[in-house]
Amino acid sequence: MWAWLLQRISAVVLLVGLMVHLIATHIFNIGQLSYTNIAERLQSAFFIIVDVLLLAAAIYHALNGVRMVLLDYWFSQRSTRRVLDTVLVVFGVAAFGYGLWALWPWITS
Amino acid sequence: MWAWILFRISGLILVAYLFVHIVIISQGELSGADTLDRLFEMFDSPLLVFLDFMLVAAVLYHGLNGVRVVLMDLGIGIRQHKAVFWSVMVVAAGLLAWFAVVAAPFVF
Repeated sequence: MWAWLLQRISAVVLLVGLMVHLIATHIFNIGQLSYTNIAERLQSAFFIIVDVLLLAAAIYHALNGVRMVLLDYWFSQRSTRRVLDTVLVVFGVAAFGYGLWALWPWITS
Repeated sequence: MWAWILFRISGLILVAYLFVHIVIISQGELSGADTLDRLFEMFDSPLLVFLDFMLVAAVLYHGLNGVRVVLMDLGIGIRQHKAVFWSVMVVAAGLLAWFAVVAAPFVF
């Protein structure tokens, strides 16, 4: 129930956030994508918030999606399902932490 | 049925892309600005622009079919689900065509 609801909420965050992300990256900066112009965009608190929200929503949505697919075919036992859940949570938290680390200079500036 | 299978396949492609994307973009912080800029230049190659086209197709399909799924969960368009599906696919095709027009000079 909670996984289902969060999958819908993250879906809406992704729809709106991806639109902002793609328009900012490829329409305002078309033909000149570089470290410098991404760094410039990340000076703004708005784009940092969008990027961090996207990072969290995308990782959750992706890994919960993988979980839904896997549970349809494997991991029917409660004990193996718990192992899968643990692996997915650890991987997701690690990926989110790594993404935050890569954005850190702009988050703190 | 086919809408659902394609939803899953596109979803799994996007999961793989997401983690590749995180690894690539974080190279700016991990390996420096020059490495990231060199990667961006590489992405202008015809093969990678073509893969980008496939990626955009997967994003549009998954995102717009997802809109239909969320609407149906809210009780909207359940009886007209086929019409809603084809309506969002027209939007997806239009946006994909726009991408193709912009991307074509990189491939041809």
